[in-house]
Amino acid sequence: MKKSLFRVLSLVVVLILVAAAFAGCAKTEAPAAAEAPPQEAQKPKSDTLTMYSALDEAEILVYLEGFTKATGIKVDYVRLSAGEIMARVTAEKDNPQASIWFGGPSDTHVAAGSAGLLEKYESANIAKIPETYRDKQGFWSPIYVGAIGFACNRGWFEKKNLAYPESWEDLLKPEFVKQISVAHPGSSGTAYTILATMVQLKDEEPAFEYMKKLHKNVIQYTKSGSAPAKNAAIGEAAIGLAFAHDILRIRNSEGYPIELKFPNDGTGYEIGGVSIIKTGIAGEEENARKFIDWITDVEAQELSAVTKSYRLPVNIDSKPPEGAVTLADLKTIDYDNVWAGENRKRLVEKFTADIATTPSN
Amino acid sequence: MKNSNTSLRAKIAKLSPFGKEPIVSAIIITIVVFLFLFIVYPLYKILSMSVTDGDGRLSFETIRSVLGNKYYLQCLMNSLSLAGAVSVISLFIGYVYAYTITRIDIPFKTFFKMMATLPIISPPFVLSLSMIMLFGRNGLITNGLFGLEDVNIYGFNSLLVVQVMSFFPIAYLTLSGILEAIDPSVEDAALNLGAKRSRIFRTVTLPLSFPGIASALLLVMVQSLQDFSNPMVLGGNFNTLVVQSYVEIIGMYDMKKGAVISIMLLLPTVAAFLLQKYWVSGKSYVTVTGKPSYERPKLNNPLIKWSAFALCSLFTAVIILFYGTVIYGSFVKIWGVNNQFTLENYKYIFTLGSAPVKNTLKLAAYATPIGGLLSMIIAFLVVRKQFIGRRAMEFVSLLSFAIPGTVIGIGYILAFNQKPLLLTGTGLILVMAFIFRNMPVGIESGTATLKQIDKSIEEASTNLGASSFLTFRKITLPLIKSAFFSGLVYAFVRAMTAVSAVILLISPRWNLVTVSILSQVENLRLGIAAAYVIILIIMMMVAIVIIEALVKRLVMKRKAA
Repeated sequence: MKKSLFRVLSLVVVLILVAAAFAGCAKTEAPAAAEAPPQEAQKPKSDTLTMYSALDEAEILVYLEGFTKATGIKVDYVRLSAGEIMARVTAEKDNPQASIWFGGPSDTHVAAGSAGLLEKYESANIAKIPETYRDKQGFWSPIYVGAIGFACNRGWFEKKNLAYPESWEDLLKPEFVKQISVAHPGSSGTAYTILATMVQLKDEEPAFEYMKKLHKNVIQYTKSGSAPAKNAAIGEAAIGLAFAHDILRIRNSEGYPIELKFPNDGTGYEIGGVSIIKTGIAGEEENARKFIDWITDVEAQELSAVTKSYRLPVNIDSKPPEGAVTLADLKTIDYDNVWAGENRKRLVEKFTADIATTPSN
Repeated sequence: MKNSNTSLRAKIAKLSPFGKEPIVSAIIITIVVFLFLFIVYPLYKILSMSVTDGDGRLSFETIRSVLGNKYYLQCLMNSLSLAGAVSVISLFIGYVYAYTITRIDIPFKTFFKMMATLPIISPPFVLSLSMIMLFGRNGLITNGLFGLEDVNIYGFNSLLVVQVMSFFPIAYLTLSGILEAIDPSVEDAALNLGAKRSRIFRTVTLPLSFPGIASALLLVMVQSLQDFSNPMVLGGNFNTLVVQSYVEIIGMYDMKKGAVISIMLLLPTVAAFLLQKYWVSGKSYVTVTGKPSYERPKLNNPLIKWSAFALCSLFTAVIILFYGTVIYGSFVKIWGVNNQFTLENYKYIFTLGSAPVKNTLKLAAYATPIGGLLSMIIAFLVVRKQFIGRRAMEFVSLLSFAIPGTVIGIGYILAFNQKPLLLTGTGLILVMAFIFRNMPVGIESGTATLKQIDKSIEEASTNLGASSFLTFRKITLPLIKSAFFSGLVYAFVRAMTAVSAVILLISPRWNLVTVSILSQVENLRLGIAAAYVIILIIMMMVAIVIIEALVKRLVMKRKAA
């Protein structure tokens, strides 16, 4: 009796182990071999850098080629939207899987900084960057700026024989009814910059009056900030509100027939940021700092002429890409980043309640 | 001494209800552990995050703010009405298709079969893009053909069309497995007794396919509920819960709210699941009894034949229109603007953009056999074996299917970002996400088919001394080969086309092709995106042919043995 019980028990245990091992083997086989590169990266003092980037793939490659040439550091990257990077860095907080966050509007970096996800770093180059662009707390560094502009579908304007809009007031014209695409500030940082710009430009009440009037001409409040420019490009809207570099990238490197116009009654702008992720991959911190030093330096700053995105450099020593409209040429408002961040929740809720109940695409 | 032994033994017997079959107990326990680890645990992580405040104290603030907001309830209603309409229409089309293919003698059957599977083997947002290119403001049909301006395609109707097209193949696959498995002698008996075809359909075929109908409804409904890509692109003012959850997480950086919103989605899924089980259980659908059977005679009535042919042709024509647009788009310079012929898009993929394709193929190749086999084993255990937590096992294995991918992604990061379960950044985490997210189709078609097969066939095998394991391998698997096949195909294509679940799990080493496609779309390189899609589709067609051949060989060999 005792013996057979023992036999049954041991058999069960052995079989469980075998089955578990078998299942485990079958499932770990593949990645075991594949894991090798990241593990190598974990050696202290590595010559690699792991990056999350919100720029366009083709742009990232241009920057990384330049960086590797200058420093010998090899960069592994994942391309995600800024919001996705934010979600990922938040979820990975206890054991981050990347060391540097390259690109994306400053508001995501601000949010990550105040959530304790970033490591402070100030490059020596920061002295050459105008103070208005800098992060007062030192969590992130500015790398480019771009003004809000209007992406206009050339074919539509030619067919209708209409003039391109030159000001915010022009957008209210009756001929643009249901022709304008703009993102919803509740889901897009771009759209929130537009809303915050209008509030800073006109004061809160008149700004909301304006948005209410604009509402009649809006065909869609898109979810993604990059959708309005795309909608204008493929003809789903006549006008899309977006940042200049997002419009120019589609026009210059993809060849879509869109015109970029800036409002002459003042416009806001986006500051793109780069930041170091707190307790990122071991041994990469030094390389992450080197990347920030490099990207804020003159040579890297001028690469936006190569990528054709025409992101405007922030380092005062670097030349803006030829043919680009610089912020100095435009009537820009003195965009207050901190104020915009602090009032975000309130303004978005007000916008949602008073103007567009639902973000749509 | 003897006493304590017996009580111990009784305890063991309780723990594993078939002490005689330790291998079955071992498998059950292993599966339970894995289900717990890769479905329940990540979900628990998400849940516990959304009900705690910043300091880790229990707080229902987020849940209260979501439930108190009419807007989110509206989103829930939108999701439900869309899912309801999509599942009913998909069921109808899927049934017509499956019935026609299995019962009626029409020409071009293989072609129809192939076309019906096209939508499931393409990345999800493709049909939405075609929709815009065909029917948008600048659309080839709306503007190009009819000269319409200012059309608005964004909203419920477009979503209905695109989702039905995307998901009816699941209904078709599930139902064709079921209809195939109904023993022809049952219908023939009715025919010989003088019943009309329509009566046979009403009183024999239709009732016998109930398990399949219920499975198909459930699967399509759940798919529609958790669809992210189509509502994101085509939703317009019609906002669904999944999209809203994404907006909260990605747009407002509010992970807790996003998680709570998507957990709301579980309610209708649970309800549908319970309803389906209640509806189907308790009745017998057994027709495969082990008595000799023969090739099914095909229906040849010209009226039925040609109307079925016409219906299938119509559905197929719509599918061809949408995919034709993608093929066209992959060969032009700038889709919709400059329609000059070019091969540049394909050249790009074969030179610069081939790494993600290889990665995806590799991971899918690991996930498919494991997922396919696992789903058949679970189906077998759930239908045939009695053990504690049987229903729970079935339910849990369906759960991950019902949750929006973004939330799964975050759950996996929260659960597997720490030693000893450090999986983030590896290919393994993606393989696991594929396996456990894509099993349900296999499980559902497996259980539905098994319910049709008389237990006595398997019992005969066990009575003759074969173990459960051997019986499963030699008897059950061959009998449910068509369900096994659809399970495998589905596991494969879902692994190749997953978007929202994997976007937060990819790493520099493991970048996937769907994410690349999305990034091309993001930058309006629609031609390259289209070319990627075409290549993916071709690869998957090849894979399906290989899987079919393998399954056939497997079954043939076993029959011979």
